[in-house]
Amino acid sequence: MASDKKISLGNTFFAGIWKENPVFALLLGMCPTLAVTTTVGAALTMGASVIFVLICSNIVISMMRNLLKPHLRILMFTLTISTFVTIADLSLKAFLPDMSTKLGPFIPLIIVNCLIICRAEACASKNGIVISIVDAIGNGLGFTLALSILAAIRELLSTGEILGFTILANTETGGWYTPWAGMAMPVGAFVTLGLLLGVVNLINKKKA
Amino acid sequence: MIKNFIEKSWLLIVASLVFGLLLAGTNEKLGPMIKKQQALKFSKLAGNMIEGADKFEIVSEEPVKIKSAKGKDIEVKSLKKGVDKDGKILGWAFEAVGSGFADKIKLVIAVDAKFETIKGFGVLLSNETPGFGDKIGKPDHKFVTQFAGTPAEDLTLSKIGDYGKVDTEIVAISGATITSNAVVSIFNTYIGQVKAALKEKGLL
Amino acid sequence: MDTFQTLVLGFISVVVVNNLVLTKFLGICPFLGVSGRIDMAFGMGCAVTFVITLSGTLTWLIDHMILMHYDLEVLRLVCFILVIAGAVQLVEMYVRKFFPPLYDSFGVFLPLITTNCAIMGLCLFLNLWEIETLVEAVVLSFGGGIGFTMAICIMAGIRESLLLADVPEALQGAPITLITAGILTMAFMGFAGMIR
Repeated sequence: MASDKKISLGNTFFAGIWKENPVFALLLGMCPTLAVTTTVGAALTMGASVIFVLICSNIVISMMRNLLKPHLRILMFTLTISTFVTIADLSLKAFLPDMSTKLGPFIPLIIVNCLIICRAEACASKNGIVISIVDAIGNGLGFTLALSILAAIRELLSTGEILGFTILANTETGGWYTPWAGMAMPVGAFVTLGLLLGVVNLINKKKA
Repeated sequence: MIKNFIEKSWLLIVASLVFGLLLAGTNEKLGPMIKKQQALKFSKLAGNMIEGADKFEIVSEEPVKIKSAKGKDIEVKSLKKGVDKDGKILGWAFEAVGSGFADKIKLVIAVDAKFETIKGFGVLLSNETPGFGDKIGKPDHKFVTQFAGTPAEDLTLSKIGDYGKVDTEIVAISGATITSNAVVSIFNTYIGQVKAALKEKGLL
Repeated sequence: MDTFQTLVLGFISVVVVNNLVLTKFLGICPFLGVSGRIDMAFGMGCAVTFVITLSGTLTWLIDHMILMHYDLEVLRLVCFILVIAGAVQLVEMYVRKFFPPLYDSFGVFLPLITTNCAIMGLCLFLNLWEIETLVEAVVLSFGGGIGFTMAICIMAGIRESLLLADVPEALQGAPITLITAGILTMAFMGFAGMIR
């Protein structure tokens, strides 16, 4: 019995990262994916916030799972999630104000991020606390990973830097690389994500 | 009937109370920190432009009202004087708002003690096009540094010119004319009126 | 007359220049999911417009009359989402009663409008842009909905034509939709700066 549980914990964790990756496989949480991936810093901050909210709300909902009446379920989920998102928002405003203004309204929009409600519905409301936590971490990490990859590509191509480290020397500072400004704009977001999803499809097809 | 209601929704009521308390607690703890961060940002930007200023003090409790570019009545936020350790006024700094290419632009404008020369500006809030308009947020960029030493009068925008020349002609960022124009028009809206308001209060 | 001009310009700005989907990245999930056919897209757009106008107005009122008045801004997010969820329930009941076939064709999409970032996003933008008057709030909310409808219908039209094109297998479905959306945003960028 113990080994069964262990396997399913590992499975749950890795499912969240690749097989059921929220962005690449399930196409959830598209809005923040496109909006905050201009820089890797913003993507990581968003990812961290999502992990925080996921873990907290999964724990709370898992604790309440036996008390939830059917028609109040969604209401309870929404209440829980919005409380933790408000806490995350306030914390960001207090400790990382520049990042908070950059992310703008997208931290509050975590509330309507289908990812979190989906996880609450599919996992936390049916399973124990430990599995819920692992699920939250797995999905949160998968989300952060997806965002970071997209952000890395966009930031690298639009400014030649990642997190402030110059990788491709900019023409402005006397280098050879002319930045693709389009990458920092909506166009770059959509097209890069589309191509990334295409790549994921290719990889999945090759595996199968 | 009330019993029935409570029976069905006791969890909701309890949860709401718990969450409410949680939120109130977080707000209590973090609220002051958030306000401090905002004031800190202002002081940092203004302090960079007005050297030697020890702290910034609010000019007057009564808000200073001016007319926006569209004719609306607006309040000048954070109109502060930069004073050194002896209390001598080294310069003035205030928040200025205007609409840019994408969204609102919020600047901190700093002028010298006599309100005759502009010391420069810093960006508090801007959502301009990355790579073009957002260059106004880079304090080392030639567009930003050209404001230092410009006389505190009406400024004009030109698309080409010499960034190094110090006069009332501001050279735009190439590829970001609208953003550059927005900054210039913010200056034009605020400088004249704030100067007049300070004169009226007898502080100049 | 001046206010009327501000309203008209504000409306055009939210529909075209600051289109919620194509420039502010809101409402992407339904944008990708429902834009398969024009009639479904239009129906979704109408439902969203209705909910967004209703929620935008209500949340603005609550924000200004209650939250800011009594210094309860920390409850803003919770209040907003509850109002939006309530508005969606209302629309669902209304549509189920008066337009049953429409309700059937919507299926699961109607409750999904609650998680549409566009609605919550617009309510938050009304706060961010510091909209002063109720009329402005109503007009901008309505404009947001119209912009969303426009974007999703354009997308649906393009996707219907794409069905006949030879899309590489790996790019079928979401990827090609996203790339098309990207090109659309480039087109809409031409409107930027139109309104000052």
